[in-house]
Amino acid sequence: MEEALLRAVLFGTPILLATLGALLAERSGVVQLGVEGMMALSALAAFAAALAFGPSMGILAGVLVGAFLGLFHGIFTVTLRANQFVAGLALSALGLGASGLLGKRYEGLPLPAPLPEGGFALLAFLLAFLLHAFLFYTRTGLYLRSVGENPKAADLFGVSVDGVRYLALGMGGGLIGLSGAYLSLAYRPAWTDGMTAGLGWVAVALVILAAWRPLRALFGAYFFGLLFFLQFRLQGSVPIPSEAFAAMPYLLVILVLALSGRAQAPKALGLPFERGR
Amino acid sequence: MKRWIFLLALALGLALGQEAKLKACFIYVGPIGDAGWTYAHDVGRKKAEAALPWLETKYVESVPEAQVVPVIDRLVREGCRVVFATSFGYMDGVLEAARKYPDVIFAHATGIKRAPNVATYMADFYQVYYLNGLAAGALTKTGKVGYVAAFPIPEVKRHINAFALGVRAVNPKAQVLVRWINAWYDPAKAREATEALLAQGADVFAFTEDTPTVIQTAARKGAYSFGHYTPMLKFAPDHVVSGQIVHWDVIYIDFLKKVREGVYTPKNLEGVDYFWLLQHKAVEMGADYGVPINPKHVPLLKAASMTVGGKKVAVYDRIMALLKDMSSPKPTFDPFTGPIRDRKGVVRVPAGRKATLEELLTLEWAAPGVVGDWPGEPK
Repeated sequence: MEEALLRAVLFGTPILLATLGALLAERSGVVQLGVEGMMALSALAAFAAALAFGPSMGILAGVLVGAFLGLFHGIFTVTLRANQFVAGLALSALGLGASGLLGKRYEGLPLPAPLPEGGFALLAFLLAFLLHAFLFYTRTGLYLRSVGENPKAADLFGVSVDGVRYLALGMGGGLIGLSGAYLSLAYRPAWTDGMTAGLGWVAVALVILAAWRPLRALFGAYFFGLLFFLQFRLQGSVPIPSEAFAAMPYLLVILVLALSGRAQAPKALGLPFERGR
Repeated sequence: MKRWIFLLALALGLALGQEAKLKACFIYVGPIGDAGWTYAHDVGRKKAEAALPWLETKYVESVPEAQVVPVIDRLVREGCRVVFATSFGYMDGVLEAARKYPDVIFAHATGIKRAPNVATYMADFYQVYYLNGLAAGALTKTGKVGYVAAFPIPEVKRHINAFALGVRAVNPKAQVLVRWINAWYDPAKAREATEALLAQGADVFAFTEDTPTVIQTAARKGAYSFGHYTPMLKFAPDHVVSGQIVHWDVIYIDFLKKVREGVYTPKNLEGVDYFWLLQHKAVEMGADYGVPINPKHVPLLKAASMTVGGKKVAVYDRIMALLKDMSSPKPTFDPFTGPIRDRKGVVRVPAGRKATLEELLTLEWAAPGVVGDWPGEPK
């Protein structure tokens, strides 16, 4: 049982970090579907930097690349007002493709000093509370949420809608980058093409499941981690075929999504903002 | 006029020069760089090209299994005379293309269907798995050996069974706990499946998945493991004992030489099936190339003993003797020699005979000592 809880937290951690990152962006009204690709590229950056300059530089590189990709998403969604869904999907495909291409020479290399997972797990746990406090108890957090709910009103109050959205995308990108760094430096201290293996998409779904609330994301990520571990822990000891176990976490996500009904998404989510319209 | 003739001759010469090279094309199911299946095939392709001066190769990577026919169309248009399709799922597409292009030679890895111009080939690990099983049986302290398995298909089942037979030959009470991840490549699943097995007490690991995840995870808890597909010693130098390593180039070179010499034509491949093992050097037992057993673990395996034909022998000596035998041109030992019962007690290979190739390729039963879900297990 202790083992299961430990795995729930350790496997839930990368999902949690990515979910928090996407959640932050979406609270400001920008749909963030680029998570998978952003995770993949920052995982690669973290791995490469850790090999060259040591683990702490690895973390830094992962976070910076994530933040950069978040801002890059902003160029299309905030400044150019492109369709946010399309831009996100493109970012995902771009990140996955680019990481595969650039990562070729890092494949099959061991990481001499893998980082402990516990540190990341603790940090992610604290970040969930910090983000909650930031969103609901600070002025900047209020601005951020109001930009996501009603950008026109926020604009009238003198809040820079574009600025806030860039801020949210950059910070969120940093969190997603941290998640990528966790994957390649601690959870699986190696780099392989496609190593994110769909975790980014789980995070995207979890944002909705968590109704855009950091603390619910915390719960959801650990819950997913627990289910994921249990499918292997229970396989063979209960008379359920392994294929059914493999589908379980996803079925549960769908079930919870269906039951949660219309979660209160930020009202301006997905709508590009243009002053005077 | 003279110049025209000269140019024509030049063009003809160039064309003939081109013709003199045999063009072989490879279709890969994944990206090359994954250090697993496709990577190993590409290493084989490169080695074949380096060894055969008259060979020209081309490859297409990440070809979805349903889209193999259009890719073959393109390759044939570009002059490929031999097409290697390296995924089981390409089977029906390859046969369709073979009917369409009766003059092109096709070779399908792991396939079970053939045609006059379609051969099949496979470098198989079951002997190596048996030897690794012997080592695993000697190394386990808890009597629980973990196996993180990809898909429940005959190939993987054959390997798990050979491994389990080896484990039990040394340690008759040991269990092989199997967990299916239903994926060839999924490091997250491999990781959590390993964690689940560790939680259940497994202390030695083998696996079928395309990354060193199981090895790295096992090593964190001090558990031994066996590498898979490519040398994985560097990922856990203190904990990787041995492993299975493939050499596809051996098959590619042999096949292409025979095509070049006219032994293989688009008319006579119906009976050609490479199922190459240790004796053909298509596979290797090793933690790394040329390192059958990690020297760090040799003393442990020398200290462990097992009973063979009523006599006590060191496990290390037994492994080395069998490895030598099965690597020789005429092996006398085979892991699937009867009597072998499955875990339900049904006789699967009667006493005194070896399992046939057909039996090995369609194997669905589970060996004694295998514990866990086993989809498709015969009643």
